[in-house]
Amino acid sequence: MIKMPDNSFDQCLKCNTCVVSCPVSNHSLEFGGPKHLGPELKRLIENQEIIDDPSVEYCTLCGNCDISCPEGVHLTHFIIEGKATHSMASGPRFRDKILSNAELVGKLASTFAPITNSLMNTKLVRVAMQKNMGIHAKRRFPKYEFKNFNRRYKKKTANTERKVAYFSGCYATYNAPGVAESFVDVMGFNGIEVAIPDQHCCGIPMLANGRIDQAKKNAVYNVNHLLEYTRKGYDVVLTCSSCTLALKKEYITLDIDGAEELSEHVYDAGEYLRILNEKGQMNTNLASIDSKSGYFAPCHMKAQGIGNPAMDILELIPNYQIQDLAAGCCGQCGTFGFKEEKFDLSLKMGTSMQESVVELDPDYTVTECGMCKNQLDQMTDKPVKHPMQILSEAYQKAGNS
Amino acid sequence: MASKIETSVVVIGGGATGAGVLRDLSLRGIQTILIEQRDLTHGTSSRYHGLLHSGARYAVRDEETAKESYEENIIIKRTIPGSIEDTGGFFVKLPEDDDEYVQKWVDGCQRSGIPIEEISVAEALQEEPFISKKAQAAYRVPDGAVDGFTMVVDLVADAVSRGSRVLTYHQVIKMIMSQTSVKGVLVQNMHTGEQTEIYADIIINATGPWTAKVAALAGVELDIVNNRGMLAVFNHRFNRHVINRLRKPGDAEIFVPAHDVTIFGTTGINVKEPEDLSLERKELMEMLEEGKSLVPDIDKLRLIRAFTGVRPLYQEKRIEGNSGRNISRGMALLDHQSRDGIKGLISITGGKLTTFRLMAEKTVDLVCEILGVHQTCTTHQEIVPHRETKEFFQKANLAPAAKNKLIHWAGKRAKGMEERLEEEDLLNTVVCECEQVTLGEIESVIADGKFNLGDIRRRTRLGMGPCQGTFCNHRAAALAVQRGLTTATEAEHALLQAVKERQKGMDVVAIGETAKQLELMKAIYHVSLAMEVEGEENV
Repeated sequence: MIKMPDNSFDQCLKCNTCVVSCPVSNHSLEFGGPKHLGPELKRLIENQEIIDDPSVEYCTLCGNCDISCPEGVHLTHFIIEGKATHSMASGPRFRDKILSNAELVGKLASTFAPITNSLMNTKLVRVAMQKNMGIHAKRRFPKYEFKNFNRRYKKKTANTERKVAYFSGCYATYNAPGVAESFVDVMGFNGIEVAIPDQHCCGIPMLANGRIDQAKKNAVYNVNHLLEYTRKGYDVVLTCSSCTLALKKEYITLDIDGAEELSEHVYDAGEYLRILNEKGQMNTNLASIDSKSGYFAPCHMKAQGIGNPAMDILELIPNYQIQDLAAGCCGQCGTFGFKEEKFDLSLKMGTSMQESVVELDPDYTVTECGMCKNQLDQMTDKPVKHPMQILSEAYQKAGNS
Repeated sequence: MASKIETSVVVIGGGATGAGVLRDLSLRGIQTILIEQRDLTHGTSSRYHGLLHSGARYAVRDEETAKESYEENIIIKRTIPGSIEDTGGFFVKLPEDDDEYVQKWVDGCQRSGIPIEEISVAEALQEEPFISKKAQAAYRVPDGAVDGFTMVVDLVADAVSRGSRVLTYHQVIKMIMSQTSVKGVLVQNMHTGEQTEIYADIIINATGPWTAKVAALAGVELDIVNNRGMLAVFNHRFNRHVINRLRKPGDAEIFVPAHDVTIFGTTGINVKEPEDLSLERKELMEMLEEGKSLVPDIDKLRLIRAFTGVRPLYQEKRIEGNSGRNISRGMALLDHQSRDGIKGLISITGGKLTTFRLMAEKTVDLVCEILGVHQTCTTHQEIVPHRETKEFFQKANLAPAAKNKLIHWAGKRAKGMEERLEEEDLLNTVVCECEQVTLGEIESVIADGKFNLGDIRRRTRLGMGPCQGTFCNHRAAALAVQRGLTTATEAEHALLQAVKERQKGMDVVAIGETAKQLELMKAIYHVSLAMEVEGEENV
């Protein structure tokens, strides 16, 4: 069967709303902008000569353009194609291959975790990495855990009435197994068992670096493995907003068989709990936590169009104060902020987030995204927590079992 | 008191035929002045789908025209490379189309020497996914796409480089007669009102749908049927090849990929006036309904505008007399001396854009015969300078899309433009984003005389994309004023005219996105910029 192409670029009215909402365009003229590199360029190459615009490297795939477009143009879809074109034309860069291979890097780095972590804090090593690989020496790296989540949790099935298949993603697996464990605990406090299906990196870092074929391979693997669970009545729940967006949206635009069916069963952890609460099925026996926090909404959470479910849930905790930092994009943007040539821009993009944290002066900040956390760690002096960690604490303090 | 100029030949009409005649004359060393009432290609030559016929469309009905078209198709592709895209074409048979016609058509193509190749429907669908899946047969033909704007501009520029003169925005208001001889024309500058007498040995009337009107100035009566056709422009180029329907030629069955859009047509309605370019929604809807058989998803594809053009169809009624030489059913070369006893006037009409060069050749052959000049035609060999200039602009400070546009567009201007772009970075600014037109391109085509956004559009594609000038027309006008190329008053007039012209074409297709685009445009011009709507007081 011949598939009809995505013609949503036809809907562009050239209004520039996407450009106004683009965090990169707001801070750099090096970037051609979402309108030009999305629908405009797509129209110009349709059934004509392909045009490679290297500035497409500057797109972080944050998705703000997609949600801002009043006409429903799938901007990032066309930009992903442009990234693939560029990567093909210029040849994939070693650095970008490494950075976008979060899963492999995670496996290796966690195996040698203590060494990796101390090496990454060694100035000499970092200077060499900048020189040889183009990874900025001043960019903070997330820590890797030897006892990664794969080594800690191996349950492949769930036997409760509600069953969750957890897509942990690279970050929670290799860098923050504590987040993954908190999630399993929170589900447990709600009487839900969690299974961990076989999975690979969601592919978002690959898409951002023009490696569309590899991303599609991972997508096919994940869709097939997760469908085995959803068809048995499991809900797929995630703690990483980027992975969630991939499963909800990107796999569909990548035209992966079964992606649409899968997307109907995919939930962000906060969103999932909010549904439980709305149905009166959530355990609300939460102990008081007397602290003030600032919530930083990741772009990929906003791109899901579900509001701020983490805040809705955390507000159920007695005495807990949480305020939206409402500060746009963090500027880390996954692999983007690690790159030598984008480091300064990345920090510039993060200034409004930094200012907002200073102004609110919370006890700590809260975000779902590991990369937003990385930038918060880089640019602020406040601790950063995942909503599931706070929730798990409130459940434990309340004496749930 | 009108000034006087003398020349050998005056060509009236700045369309493809007039430009072709002008260039042929210049190549044969005959001094010529071309007169055009508006801008080049103001008439029919810019108001069609841009199909360079392979001749296959005429293979059954008119083998002579089919043969001529194919021969010209080959010549034009070779000699005017900068304005032609060798897209190739498909003829597609649908279930409701006459089965017997297919064999007649195949035989006709064979007799006319047109190379066609049958391909499987699956292959056709693979290459052109928008074609109806119900298709029963598909053939490849050597159709092409031609840019009528650039072709005429380039033909005229080539003639000018060989010594010809061109007066655009000049209207012929009178033939200067001496008894039964035409001695010249009195022309009037449309902007200044200034009049000029141009004396010449021969006047060539190449005015398309205005042919009868111009001939009438010399007292010659002609029967020209002016037949108006509608064309619709899709927002993007959804096909690679020209798509034709394999049946007895009818309405709404040709889809031509033209630069970044697809042009779809057409209809045929006889009209009285050559200026009757009115657009009717009903006509468009009927055309789309008919086109749906060939392209079922037609309703899902955004239309950005529609326009009409008037074909001059010649009918020789006085065949019993000493008529002009009716070259074929398509084109008509009329020597008014032998036909009507009026010396010094020739009309060339009918025909089609694909055969314009041949029309010009026959016309100039006749001119040479009358003037006693022994020069043979060389337009089938002499190449019009290519527009592609890959050796330039490699280091220009331009985004790749704008650069790509420029290297396919600049042609002979490339060297000068490259130097200017290096000197002044502002010229690298993209003014029209939809079609990637830079300030440098705009400035390179602004001629002396009145600032006219339509003239710029025809030469650069400014405002031809999805937004139809919503954002670029005011930018271009403002920049022109800022840079001293026009006055604020003139720019405002030009802007109002351009906006009105764009809105007319959008209005008839204004459903869905284009309706929103039109509202956005109106809001920007008539609310934000508080410009008047013509005929309304500015409040």
